[in-house]
Amino acid sequence: MKLRPTRRGRTRAVLAVLLSLAVTVVLARPADAAYAQIEGSGSTWSEVILQQWIADVDANGMKVTYNGGGSSQGRKAFGQNVTDFGITEIPYQGKDEFGNVDSAGSREFAYMPIIAGGTAFTYQLTVGGKLVKNLRLSGETIAKIFTNQITNWNDPAIKKDNNGRVFPSLKITPVLRSDGSGTTAQFTTWLDKQYPAIWRGFFGRSGLTSYFPRKGAAIAAAGSDQVMNTIASASGNGHIGYVEYSYPVNKKYPVVKVLNKAGYYVEPTQYNVAVALTRAKINQDKGSDKYLTQILDGVYSATDPRAYPLSSYSYMLLPTGAKDQRMTTAKRQTLADFMFYSLCEGQSKAGAYGYSPLPLNLVQAGFDQLKKLKTADPKVDIAGRSVTRCNNPTFVAGNLSKNKLAEVAPQPAACDKQGAGPCGGGTGTAPTSTEEASAASGDDKGTASPGTTPAAGTPGAPADAAVPGASGVVDPVTGAPQAATATGGGDVTAVPVELLAGRAGDERVFGALAAVELVALVVVPGMLAALLRKRRRNA
Amino acid sequence: MRRAVLVLTAVLTVGALVSPGGATADTSDAFSATKSMERVFEEDGDRVVVDERTVTVKVDHTKNLRGRERVQVSWSGAHPSGGRATNPFGEKGLDQEYPVVVLQCRGRDDSSLPAARRLARETCWTSTPRQRSVQASERTALWRQDAFASAADREPKSGLSPFPSERCDDVERLSSRVTPFKAASGTVHLSCSATTMAPEAAADAAFPPAEVAAFTDVDGNGRVSFEVRTATENESLGCSSTTPCSLVVIPIMGISCADDASNECLKTGQFAPGSSNYSGEGVDAAVSPVYWWAESNWRNRISVPLTFATEPDVCDVKDSRAPTAFYGSELLSQASTQWAPAYCLKRDRFKFQHNRMADGAAFALMERGDAAAAFVSGGQEAASDTRVGYAPTAVTGFAVSYVIDRPDNAGELGELRLTPRLLAKLITQSYTGSTIGQQHPGMAKNPMSINQDPEFKALNPGLDSIAREAGAALLSLSEASDVVESITTYIASDPEAAAFVKGQADPWGMVVNPSYRAIKLPVDEWPLLDKFVPTSTQECRRQISTPYMTQLAAPISSLRKIAEAVLDGWPNVQTKCTRSSVSDPWKMGRVDRQGIGSRFMLGVVGLGDAARLDLRTASLQTKVTRGSGTAFTDASGRSFVEPTSSAVLAAVRTARRSEQPFGAFALGPATTGANAKAYPGAMIVYTAARLEGMAKADARKVAQFIRVSTTEGQRAGAANGQLPRGFVPITRNGATAALWKQADAVADAVESQTPSAADEDGEDETTPEKESPGGGAPAPPGAAPGADVPAAGPAVAPPNAPAATTTLETAPTAATTSSTGRLLMAGLLGVLLLAGFGAPAVRVVALVRGGRR
Repeated sequence: MKLRPTRRGRTRAVLAVLLSLAVTVVLARPADAAYAQIEGSGSTWSEVILQQWIADVDANGMKVTYNGGGSSQGRKAFGQNVTDFGITEIPYQGKDEFGNVDSAGSREFAYMPIIAGGTAFTYQLTVGGKLVKNLRLSGETIAKIFTNQITNWNDPAIKKDNNGRVFPSLKITPVLRSDGSGTTAQFTTWLDKQYPAIWRGFFGRSGLTSYFPRKGAAIAAAGSDQVMNTIASASGNGHIGYVEYSYPVNKKYPVVKVLNKAGYYVEPTQYNVAVALTRAKINQDKGSDKYLTQILDGVYSATDPRAYPLSSYSYMLLPTGAKDQRMTTAKRQTLADFMFYSLCEGQSKAGAYGYSPLPLNLVQAGFDQLKKLKTADPKVDIAGRSVTRCNNPTFVAGNLSKNKLAEVAPQPAACDKQGAGPCGGGTGTAPTSTEEASAASGDDKGTASPGTTPAAGTPGAPADAAVPGASGVVDPVTGAPQAATATGGGDVTAVPVELLAGRAGDERVFGALAAVELVALVVVPGMLAALLRKRRRNA
Repeated sequence: MRRAVLVLTAVLTVGALVSPGGATADTSDAFSATKSMERVFEEDGDRVVVDERTVTVKVDHTKNLRGRERVQVSWSGAHPSGGRATNPFGEKGLDQEYPVVVLQCRGRDDSSLPAARRLARETCWTSTPRQRSVQASERTALWRQDAFASAADREPKSGLSPFPSERCDDVERLSSRVTPFKAASGTVHLSCSATTMAPEAAADAAFPPAEVAAFTDVDGNGRVSFEVRTATENESLGCSSTTPCSLVVIPIMGISCADDASNECLKTGQFAPGSSNYSGEGVDAAVSPVYWWAESNWRNRISVPLTFATEPDVCDVKDSRAPTAFYGSELLSQASTQWAPAYCLKRDRFKFQHNRMADGAAFALMERGDAAAAFVSGGQEAASDTRVGYAPTAVTGFAVSYVIDRPDNAGELGELRLTPRLLAKLITQSYTGSTIGQQHPGMAKNPMSINQDPEFKALNPGLDSIAREAGAALLSLSEASDVVESITTYIASDPEAAAFVKGQADPWGMVVNPSYRAIKLPVDEWPLLDKFVPTSTQECRRQISTPYMTQLAAPISSLRKIAEAVLDGWPNVQTKCTRSSVSDPWKMGRVDRQGIGSRFMLGVVGLGDAARLDLRTASLQTKVTRGSGTAFTDASGRSFVEPTSSAVLAAVRTARRSEQPFGAFALGPATTGANAKAYPGAMIVYTAARLEGMAKADARKVAQFIRVSTTEGQRAGAANGQLPRGFVPITRNGATAALWKQADAVADAVESQTPSAADEDGEDETTPEKESPGGGAPAPPGAAPGADVPAAGPAVAPPNAPAATTTLETAPTAATTSSTGRLLMAGLLGVLLLAGFGAPAVRVVALVRGGRR
């Protein structure tokens, strides 16, 4: 059977074909357009989000492989031309701790910022069988803990950080990275800049290291995953370690709120990190080999109440040589488009994974670096890939001068202020929206049941006390005003009480009691019955 | 047209759900060829045949291949290999004797073709210069002594004319040979040093070499899984749908020697057939794969023509529409990856993304409105009253994947049987791993690793009994996941496994690790409970007091990484002691990759990843018809089932609809019951979305996704939008009809976003928590003043009054134990006892009195 289309039908069909062609032209790349697989290795700090980006760009036909073996390994592999790109938290150091060369050799490259985040301190500390979730520490206390000067959780310095709250007498076990790690490098950079006396006395010299010296009670584990396992395991009570915020977030584990220069204890949420990083200075000397590497002194001492001091970002080592032995046009195009995706759309999911989107200054700097691929190889197409098309939560793509970050980033709760609180809620939950962030400051995650009023939920507080003088926003657990502007009701001290992890004596007494009662339960009725029967018989 | 071809090829590849090492359903694109070959020594002009073989090579499929797809190459009749290398890939495989070299080469082995389309040594890919170039003294330059070598090849310098002496750092007095690599673009890479290799070549890259010098067993048989590369993975090699390529299989027979050959040429190997060369000792070059390019070897090649699939269309990176992200289960990963382009490429659809995340966390994001929808594989605990619909989106599951080599280089184990009790033993860390672990209290008599366990041996005979730490671990997830829940449910519902976990010894006397005794199952996150720190004479262990069992288990955070660890035979056991210098402290890290021939590793993976990477998957026990609870010596009386399509479907057929409208189905041991054919690891992945309070635009997208994924997304195939291997299609009829029906209904309900009856008073239930002070953040429900005190004590106490400085007396909530308290306790005991005795006594008195009356 043959169907003859009418003329109109034919026109329609032709139109439809043309239309569908047009659509394809707009939305699809030709299948055989030049992408070639690229390989990279390095940081585990940024691995979680990087692996997600790699999964995302598969839809664009880009094949990327990444192997998280630590930043040191990533720099080494890149320098030896083993990989197409490397990911690292710190620039090449020239020489590493062991006197081995730490440089890219003759390979030409550029540092390109890819993702920001907070180096978080995650810990396991139980009191009365319950996990403490709102520990606060000052930088100095942290420095002393990791240099073995503070070795017990009942230390007065920790008590002071927690506004008089005392933790049980329990040995502190710092958990370090055993492999060459950018996370370690970030942490020790901060130690060296902020607490030189404490750090250098321990380290024996100045500067950062990728290999934290293991001394005393500290233990070391390879990779962020294993640090997290060590802390979260049953034997991890009293352990504290440093990892990128995404690890505790995904594990639903608490992180330390760190004291910033404004006097607030804050968590490394996406906004707190982004706010801090607006103070990052970038080496703008285009001639310098450390061009675009971060100078974080301003971040460490940022005075915004929201700023998380240990904020930093990761770099990609981007091969920029025109004669790079591993590069081809197709590989450069893949690198360019993978990074275009990551710098723009990829940043929008940073918060959900416990990272922070790069603020505008860094995204723009990243785009400048990408252009070097075009310089190296004119056949690379970077047209239409610009910051103005970025879907980044910290700025408005159409209006780059608008400071969106300042509007969306919530202020810390009053109970997070030095000398106040501590706030009751948990940490390590990576709030992803403003409302969420502000609600979470007093939120006890996981057990939340909507509808209960604060007064009903906190029997210890008189109902009328929940109405504070200052602002209208009330922290539901503490009853403290929640806005940063709130001053009233802040200076409250509690009479501290010594808390013990457990009560050995009680266990014995209760055990004995239980045993005796059990025996009695079994024996007594029988005995009585026998007695009764005997009596009856006698009767 | 191209689409049509793709669909066709897709249909052809539908076969077993996961067919690792197994035959692909379709055999029409299989390859088989037989060739006779000999090794000859010339003596005074005569050719004496010293060895003669007839080799048959088979390849399971050769057509429409995709990047990194694995083809199974097997052979028979080859010279038995000796001196097995721990890693036969790339240059690491060169120190072996009589292996079978398998290479991927551009072009076809057809002399009628023009030279540019013909394969040659120069178009065969290798990843290191040592596989292509050599400098040797005249005596050891065996290619020059080759009886079949041309006159040009016998020259001191050969391979390229003029010889690139300068660029190859050539030594004048030595014999030299280069086999340059000719890239698809026409560029010639000299390949005599690391810097003159093609750009894709790199030692120790994340992306390991594919070319292999594979081992032949003592009977002349062997097999290897070969990973093919397309132009995407290897641009220089350049294989694509338009550039045909071939596999070249060269059984190494040994160099045939000319009359004037040295003794080196006449050598026949120093390693016995079936032996290993794990220390990488030198081998007889004449019978090694290093001269695969010498005429004696090259002429024995068997070439297998390959064709490659057309690359599917992909999304444009410049498409500026904001993506709509669905968060959740990694089980869906392979499917969502293949689905994504089918959304971005259509104007009337949206830009779909799947953000991998733990089921529970994703569900919470969705409930809060931070994600449009969540992918979960079971009912989740709701944190709010918002109604949520579960639309079945994919049928897949988990598998225990493994890589186990049989002893004496006899090849890989092809079938592994596991019982729930064996899984329980692994996850409760009840194998001690080594003599160090044997110190663990209460486990002294337990086997050190699973291959020593009589239960395992009864079901999987023929393996060695060498204790190994990797054999004491099942690599699993460190984070919460419905997969962990599913595994632990499987264990909890098996009487033998449950009894073992509760503390009852197995029939051979093995007991559960006391740290996990009577752990309450199921759980969605596996806790690391063991605290045992061994005492050891090792300096490293004395310095580091880390719990040993946790180092063996060392779970990681993604299923994909587990799959890759199994693929690489690289356990995540963290017991390797290293230090950078003798003055530095010891540190512990991941052990080395296992050598091929002695691999033993188990890991929990998703069926999608297992199929994509062609991992072997274990058969799980479904039913015990006799001998439950007693010792056994073989598998009789026990049924096991592999994760095939039919076994997964058999399980899904038993799934029960939830009592909640649009709730998740019940699927698991409770529903499959004693169905011997139902795969216990089957799981359903749902798209969970809110039925109220969602923005209309998002609701439309989610509804569209559910509809598309349950129709075109369920057509099996390798093209955009289709369902990859490792998943069973959900169809309108048949075993999955109930799932399809619910998906369809949920799509409608999501799209319409009708408020529930409870909302009739006009209040929108989804928002007020965030607006009213404290609504969203109340204290734990029903928290009694004392219940939560130790943790929250000071937090509750302080800042209630708006006054300046207040000092509030906090009730002594501390765990102070006074002696008075203990005395009181004793008193309490007395009172209780009195009451206990007293009550019956009163009754007695009453009775006695009654009796008197």
